[in-house]
Amino acid sequence: MDKAIELNAVDTTYEGEKIPCLKNITLHINKGEFIAVIGPNGAGKTTLLETINGLLESNRGEVKVLGKALRGDGNSIRKYVGYVPQDYSIDELTPFLVSDVVLMGRYGKIGLLKPITKKDKEIASNMMEYMGINNISKRPIGKLSGGQAQKVMIARALAKEPEIILMDEPFSNLDFEARREVSEKLIHFHKNKGMTFVIVIHDIASIPKSCNRVIVMDNGRIVADGNKEDILKPELLEMGYKGMVC
Amino acid sequence: MLELFSTKIILFAIIGAVLTGYTCSLMGTFVVRMNLSSLGFAMSHAAFAGAALGIFLRKDPLIFALLFSTFVSLALGPLADKAKLKTDVVIGVIFSLSMALGLLFLNLSPDTAMSSTAMSILWGSVLGMTTADIIYLLIITVIAILFVIMFFKEINAILFDRKLARSSGINDKPFYYLILLLTSLTVAFSLKLVGGLLVFALMINPTSSVYQFSYDMKKIILLSPIVGVISCLLGMLMSFSFDLPTGSAIAIVCSAIFGISVLISPKRRKG
Repeated sequence: MDKAIELNAVDTTYEGEKIPCLKNITLHINKGEFIAVIGPNGAGKTTLLETINGLLESNRGEVKVLGKALRGDGNSIRKYVGYVPQDYSIDELTPFLVSDVVLMGRYGKIGLLKPITKKDKEIASNMMEYMGINNISKRPIGKLSGGQAQKVMIARALAKEPEIILMDEPFSNLDFEARREVSEKLIHFHKNKGMTFVIVIHDIASIPKSCNRVIVMDNGRIVADGNKEDILKPELLEMGYKGMVC
Repeated sequence: MLELFSTKIILFAIIGAVLTGYTCSLMGTFVVRMNLSSLGFAMSHAAFAGAALGIFLRKDPLIFALLFSTFVSLALGPLADKAKLKTDVVIGVIFSLSMALGLLFLNLSPDTAMSSTAMSILWGSVLGMTTADIIYLLIITVIAILFVIMFFKEINAILFDRKLARSSGINDKPFYYLILLLTSLTVAFSLKLVGGLLVFALMINPTSSVYQFSYDMKKIILLSPIVGVISCLLGMLMSFSFDLPTGSAIAIVCSAIFGISVLISPKRRKG
């Protein structure tokens, strides 16, 4: 099966620090998989996502995305990787409209010196409609609630029509009903577009039904990796993260 | 003959004001959004230090002003990235160094220290605009406009969030450094009109005024230069009418526009 993501013996260390945040990670993800990454705070989940899309450079090992080594070619690979970060710099006065922010998701894919086409705008508009944010498309992004802004960031990532999508706590600001609704939309996307999903989730109960594999991280290492049913046993769910690993 | 000469001076001053107002405020939209408010400050003082060195060496101050502010712009981005410091911190260091060097060079050339050349660098000398000054300003204005038009997508994404822009496949660093470089060139070429100490006001105030009326970055990029041009023309009118220094008059006008904008801003209204 074609590999979407390959990490071989990867260490990632933040500049100025001696201890790596990711330690000797080997992880292979096939195209079309839906993976949830769980673990306690500081386990290295966000670092893992940012190492995969090259926002953080690994200092040991090899990272390959869609068959290409990431080192030195991050920008061209990121055109095929959607990313929903956990934090983004939006404040009340941020002078950007929702429709512009969603359309921006396509800018890297459109490429340098190429104009934004009608099709690009159409795709962005469809994605807003799909995420149920069409009614706020002309509102300033800084004026939205946390949940609305999160939907905008998901629509932005999906508007790129990526082959791989990395999401860092995409449900953290959503209420129960919105979580269910967004989760179903992601499942639909996964089934119909065949995208590879890697989602960092803190709340285990929010893991979408489509998820076929769960990776547990702790202290910068992968401590468990397997089928959702094997990893998320009810007794482990009750215990929380610590000690849940077999 | 004298009338023709003074008409030419006034015409050059007006053209200079339009070009300076437009470019400073256009670059100001980036400076304000990227929280580089002290950037214009550091660059204008670097230009001042360079010009002071030019005076000391008895060479063209503008060339040295350009060299210094360009050096600052080229050093600033990589220095802030490498030192893992906020750009504003690095700007603070550069600002104090520039000011110290500027005063040192002026002190080393006592006969010219407070001469009209030195004063014109600090406060501008709009009536001294030459054909060459206008051509330089026109070139930098055209380059700045082309830069924005050609790379609008990339610039817009970077202005929203640099990291998110990078995550969507945009190589943000060259654009960021180009913004710094264009800002420094704009500062250096604007010294003639508003002077090193006030060019900062022309970068920040028009954009900050337009910010009071819009949440749409496209409109802010479009309207800020227009407010900049209006500020410069009104400032010049005020300067000629009341015999005031042009740079000061322009700074006062654009500060007044900003003050009024804050007062009538719909962003502070409810309902």
